[in-house]
Amino acid sequence: MELTSSRTHLVAALLAALSFVVVLALVGDLVGTSVERTIIVFLVSLTAISAMGLYSGNSGILSFGHLSFMGVGAYVSALLTLPTHIKEATLPALPGWLASTGLGLWPATLVAVLVTMAVAVVVGLAIWRLEGSAATIATLALLIITHGILIGWRDVTRGAQTFFGVPRDTTIWVAAIGCLVALIISRLYRDSAWGLRLRAGRENATAAASVGISVPRERFIALVLSAGLMALSGALIAHFLGAFSPKKFYFTDTFFLLAMLIVGGMTTVSGPVLGAAVVTLITEILRRLEGGLDLGFMEVPQVFGTTQIGIGVLILLALMHRKDGLAGMKEWEEWLIPTRRAAVNPKPLSPAESAPVIAENVTRRFGGLLATNKVSVTVRPGEILGLIGPNGSGKTTLLNQISGVLPPSSGKISRGEQDLLKLPSHKFADAGIARTFQNIRLFPTLTVYQNIQVAALSSKGGRDAAARVAGALQWLGLEAVAETDAGTLSYGDQRRVEIARALVCQPSLIFLDEPAAGMNREETDALMDILRRINTDLGIGILLVDHDLALINALCHRIAVLNEGRMIAEGTPEEVRSDPAVIEAYLGTFTKQSTVPT
Amino acid sequence: MRRILTTTTALCLAALAAQADELKLGLATAQTGGLAPYDAPVVEGIHIAVDEINATGGIGGSIMIELNEKDVRSDTAQTSISVQELVDAGSEAIVLPCDADPSIAAAAIVDAAQVPAISTCASSPTLPLIGGDYVFANFPGDNVQATVSASWAFEQGMKSAFILYSPDSQYTTMPLYFADVMKALGGEILGEATYNIGQPDFSAVATQIAALDPAPDMVMTSAYEPDFPTFIKALRAAGYEGQIIGSDGIDSPTTFGLGNVAEGVVFTTAGHATAGSPLEAFNALYEEKTGSASETVFNAVGYDLVKVLEAAVMAAGSTEPKAIRDAMANLEDVQGATSLITYRGTTGMPVRQVSLIRVKGGERELVGQPSPNADLIPAPRMQ
Repeated sequence: MELTSSRTHLVAALLAALSFVVVLALVGDLVGTSVERTIIVFLVSLTAISAMGLYSGNSGILSFGHLSFMGVGAYVSALLTLPTHIKEATLPALPGWLASTGLGLWPATLVAVLVTMAVAVVVGLAIWRLEGSAATIATLALLIITHGILIGWRDVTRGAQTFFGVPRDTTIWVAAIGCLVALIISRLYRDSAWGLRLRAGRENATAAASVGISVPRERFIALVLSAGLMALSGALIAHFLGAFSPKKFYFTDTFFLLAMLIVGGMTTVSGPVLGAAVVTLITEILRRLEGGLDLGFMEVPQVFGTTQIGIGVLILLALMHRKDGLAGMKEWEEWLIPTRRAAVNPKPLSPAESAPVIAENVTRRFGGLLATNKVSVTVRPGEILGLIGPNGSGKTTLLNQISGVLPPSSGKISRGEQDLLKLPSHKFADAGIARTFQNIRLFPTLTVYQNIQVAALSSKGGRDAAARVAGALQWLGLEAVAETDAGTLSYGDQRRVEIARALVCQPSLIFLDEPAAGMNREETDALMDILRRINTDLGIGILLVDHDLALINALCHRIAVLNEGRMIAEGTPEEVRSDPAVIEAYLGTFTKQSTVPT
Repeated sequence: MRRILTTTTALCLAALAAQADELKLGLATAQTGGLAPYDAPVVEGIHIAVDEINATGGIGGSIMIELNEKDVRSDTAQTSISVQELVDAGSEAIVLPCDADPSIAAAAIVDAAQVPAISTCASSPTLPLIGGDYVFANFPGDNVQATVSASWAFEQGMKSAFILYSPDSQYTTMPLYFADVMKALGGEILGEATYNIGQPDFSAVATQIAALDPAPDMVMTSAYEPDFPTFIKALRAAGYEGQIIGSDGIDSPTTFGLGNVAEGVVFTTAGHATAGSPLEAFNALYEEKTGSASETVFNAVGYDLVKVLEAAVMAAGSTEPKAIRDAMANLEDVQGATSLITYRGTTGMPVRQVSLIRVKGGERELVGQPSPNADLIPAPRMQ
């Protein structure tokens, strides 16, 4: 698995995680007693919330269901380590092979992690397509269902009763190792190709699909991985407490852990660490105060409940003032250490395919409206085709259909032998079709480099990704802003990043939806130059939608004109300019002297 | 406020009598969260007892009780941390939450530290069994309640029963103990059925019971709200007219407000304030201290807990934790607010009097306060 951030960053992050956990564990080990217990609980909570962050942070889907995986991990591991004589007494209906199994903590934890990941595979397949709040509600359902199963499966779980007798093997060093494993895996995942793809999907799912990312697949991977880490935290807490019941893995703890995650911020791994630290510190302080204290001049009475109120206020403050959490959107080392990437020789981005994309009788209905009506168009590599038409004439709808974003109601779209209608939208990039969007769709919190890199990693099997990124940056002249967050760039620069992101997929056809919108004349001229060179030097075909007819006329070999969903003209710029139907569409009435404005 | 003043005064007195010994009592109970409705009133009762004892100079006139209170937020992990803190702070006895999860999790800590611990109101007889030598319960055990109600029914000539229980929790399996006792006495169980806690409809089991021929003399269940009201309405609607026996879970205003369907229901509970009884005296004390009437028997149960500790310290003649534990395990007939309390000969689950209450015209009527026959009490079930 390829890592996408610089080695310096990763080494710094991992060393920091290692020293943080080791120092904490040392402190706990030396001080002992209740401090040690508090630190163990802290480490286990951190294990859990870094796992929750792995899924929720990278996918953008808040999960209420992750405690289910913690519960499954706890019960499975505890069933494996529970001494046989206790099993005989408390779980007489247990199957023989399970009743006689007595594993140590680590092998039992490993089995629990694998079993939980298998459960997550099933869950992940079930919620494959769900996005946003639908996915969140599904995770809530998962929590309730799992809780029901844990209570209902009495022969194995003792139902709602206490599951006890579990060996208390979670020492502070065991918890430290578990926590470190979770932190390292979450950090490496975040900066793996998987993690970067999922983050891109979180920022903009449509754009992510257009560069070859299957967002559901990435979400699935994250779910299974994070479920494994949740199981690890479950095994740790089970072997710390020695006694628990299904209610330990239900709403109360879900909200307690989510509070840490929200306060710290879930998009990074620094977030959970900060969140767990801040919430634990505040809880510990308030807990000592709420028992009542003597200030010398007055006695503060004992008021229980301040801890919960304190955490509630903390969440409110975080949501109001730092909605991305204390850590924000970047890891600490990304703030502090400038990114340096090894220089790579740019790769020429010549296309692989030569067949044209042929759309025949493409029709799309939106209710009673025919957005495109039996439109046929051929887009050839090597040529620049302009698509023009008044507002609402169906240009973007046509573009969306031949780039896989929107399935046509009827019609045929093919490329060579390939029926493009059977292709899911994220496969279009590998079919040699890349695109930009009318309203810019970048991954705004990712850097320019990452925007392009994630596309390179997701197309053409990710081969020569670094060299292709270098090539795309060079083509669009974006080297200077490569490490800037894409969302902070000027409008014109954002357009160019979008084109670079399309170009890096090494397409044979690029569809550009109003690439010059929002650009001044100079920027437009520079863009025209780049587009012309992409076409002549690389041989990439371009389908260009724009209102800037000067740009269209100067650039295009052929022009197709849409009006009210129908193709009314197609031909060379000269032919189209003098076509009466075009003139009428643009000017409303036919007059002898009229020409299409140039 | 008055309580705070009393506590403060007591503490000042304690400071004055510097040579006096003290008992460090640590409370790791749930003042917030799901267990708070049980733990909070118990702790209120504890405060009243501690204030009362300290106002007279402490246990035996010399050992003041010093409370160290922690809120465990109904969380098992927090309980284990708080109990460790109390042990670290030198607590000589510890009070645990009402629920088995946190109490069992804490048991390992008190066992290792050899400090006696009492759960506020957990009624599962398995708790002290699992918890080990240092864990005690403070509430009538489920098996004790069942023994009292079964013995009473048998004496009344009711010899055939139907039981309804839920395996969802230890408490709701109390009818299984009832069946054991009934059979030991020579009675007969005509049938049994299970339910899920929170089950919306009981008409199927109600029809099943009403169709039994011969009809059982009684139906016993330890279902509580919302299941008990639903069940009893369905059962009466199905035409069953025999005796219904419940447990302390239905000792709530709801039961007395059910009207005709609940008329004649008999249930067991921790205590009943008859004229001149210790519970009546406690209720008066409670009202004097807090300004409002005690609404739940859990207040008195908290008072009982401190009385037991007081007796144990007196018997041990020291506040050394191990000595307290040994003395406590041998206590006999300690007078609490609700009952005489005995630990001698048990595994840590107290033998207490249980009050039998009948619902009559929407009011409570005392049926009796028998002490259970120890030989009849079934052994705790682990499953």
